[in-house]
Amino acid sequence: MIKIENLHKSYKMGSNSLHVLKGINFSVEEGELVAIMGSSGSGKSTLLNILGMLDNLDEGSYTLDGVPIKDLNETKAANYRNKFLGFVFQSFNLINYKSAMENVALPLYYQKVGRKERQEKALKYLDQVGLKEWATHLPSELSGGQKQRVAIARAMAAEPKVLLADEPTGALDSKTSYEVMDLIQKINDQGNTILVVTHEPDIADMCKRIVHLKDGVIVEDKKIKQVRAAEHV
Amino acid sequence: MFDKDIWQEIFHSIKNNKLRTFLTGFSVGWGIFILVMLLASVNGMQNGFHSQFNDDATNSIFIRPGTTNKAYAGFEKDRKIQLRNNDIEYIKKSFTDDYEHISGRMFKSTSARYKSETGSYSIQAVHPDHQIIEKTIVTEGRYINMNDLMSSSKVAVIGRKVGEDLFKEEDPIGKFVEFNGLLFRVIGIFIDEGDDNAERGIYAPITTYQKIYGNTDEIDGIALTYNSSYDLTKALEFSTRLENILKRRHKIAPEDQSGIRIWNYAQAFSDISSFTGVLSYIGIAVGILILIAGIVGIGNIMVFIIKERTKEIGIRKALGAVPGQIIKLVLLESVFITALSGFIGLFFATGILAVIGPMMNSPAFTNPSVSFSIVLTATIILVLAGLLAGLIPAMKAANIKPIVALRDDK
Repeated sequence: MIKIENLHKSYKMGSNSLHVLKGINFSVEEGELVAIMGSSGSGKSTLLNILGMLDNLDEGSYTLDGVPIKDLNETKAANYRNKFLGFVFQSFNLINYKSAMENVALPLYYQKVGRKERQEKALKYLDQVGLKEWATHLPSELSGGQKQRVAIARAMAAEPKVLLADEPTGALDSKTSYEVMDLIQKINDQGNTILVVTHEPDIADMCKRIVHLKDGVIVEDKKIKQVRAAEHV
Repeated sequence: MFDKDIWQEIFHSIKNNKLRTFLTGFSVGWGIFILVMLLASVNGMQNGFHSQFNDDATNSIFIRPGTTNKAYAGFEKDRKIQLRNNDIEYIKKSFTDDYEHISGRMFKSTSARYKSETGSYSIQAVHPDHQIIEKTIVTEGRYINMNDLMSSSKVAVIGRKVGEDLFKEEDPIGKFVEFNGLLFRVIGIFIDEGDDNAERGIYAPITTYQKIYGNTDEIDGIALTYNSSYDLTKALEFSTRLENILKRRHKIAPEDQSGIRIWNYAQAFSDISSFTGVLSYIGIAVGILILIAGIVGIGNIMVFIIKERTKEIGIRKALGAVPGQIIKLVLLESVFITALSGFIGLFFATGILAVIGPMMNSPAFTNPSVSFSIVLTATIILVLAGLLAGLIPAMKAANIKPIVALRDDK
């Protein structure tokens, strides 16, 4: 599903250049649930942003579902994101003046799905995350865990190939975190490919594979026995 | 542009961002409001000036004799020039095509008496043509006619105020009033819209007064109107010719300005026109400055709005919005708001003008109004300016990498 070879990325900080990713080789099969771990500054978020086409790579190659991702302009990147990827962010990133349902329907709008079908689909995905009754509420009326579940519903609504979650539990308490991870596991059980960036070992243990990043290189890549979040809820 | 979904997005965003919408709209609406009021005020002043001068026929020329200040053709200076009946005849013959109406004038004052009421008034003894030259409006009875002139009848057309003073409640028409001891029959009453003082005057046939003053043929002045098809240049050329011929006739040095004075309405009117012209240029200049202020205001708010929406734009892009869609969304929204509020400002200003305008009728300020097309143009300019002012930040925002926009935490 995802194949990355010799990926390099550096940021210019004034006159200095900060080499963040120093040759990453990494691939993900369909249906995997991968945790990308590492301390702050290890490059894990940068890797996710490049995978999400939110950022450009400097060197190396990136293939997503057999499509080489290169020479992206903004329009092309937007189309690929819309077609291939769903995002879940630490700070939820819901549009604050839109209701839960409208937030979930937004990626469908950019897929040019008709209004009625958008609403039906949005309700269906809200139902899946257990928030159907909250469809007309604004994000400000929802708790943190509910917001993240709306964000997950939004990411799933576009029916992406890969779901990318950047610290999805970073702003939540542990109980809510496990609820969100339970949801992510269930989505994974349906066969969806998911990448989770986290620095919390308990969250990483709930994935099927842990990739450990340190100073811009992969230091460890192991399959683990998944801990079901439901046991902790 | 007529995609239903994008308008739904826009209305949604307007509805949920009332303060932002109000701020944008207010600056535009206010700008248009001030602009309309300003242009209308300038227009009102112009109307005021014009109405001040519309009182007399605008193609009139007044000739008054004076005293020479140069010795010429064997005459000493300080010679008093006297116009006579034959000057009128001479002008009639020499300028057949140039003049339309002509009248001699004698200026006299008289004490008038009717029963126990008395008063002192100025009398103009004139020819019948004088009514047209002065645009005298006779509300009751009639003006002086050729019969009165031929028979030198003692008749008078009195101003409304004179009638009120002397006759009180009585109808003056047909009554006899005493002017310096001589009985005159009142044949008409006139009014003057512009000037109450003019209504304290009296008109009488010129022949009658020439008879009274010792069968003289002397006149105090000549009033005439030139051919109304003449433009300003032709009118000025005519009055110059008139002046030259009269100077030659009365042996006045050509460069002597005080021997005979010709006051041409065209000249005065062109002076006033150029004054009000300058006034309207000032109006336009200030209007442009207001527009610029409005544009800067809109630009500011656009930059602020887009700054505020950066994160939202980032989210939309992460969800698959292409830059074009973002630009379209932001700009259509701002154009919709600016256009709507521009027209609201326009509506309010024209509404206020429609109510207040007719009430404003002081001499210097009459019926302030504004050409709709000018204001419509200004509104469109403002909307386009808002569009341009928003375009640059919108394009910039649309091309920000979503990762940067999303990082922009508030």
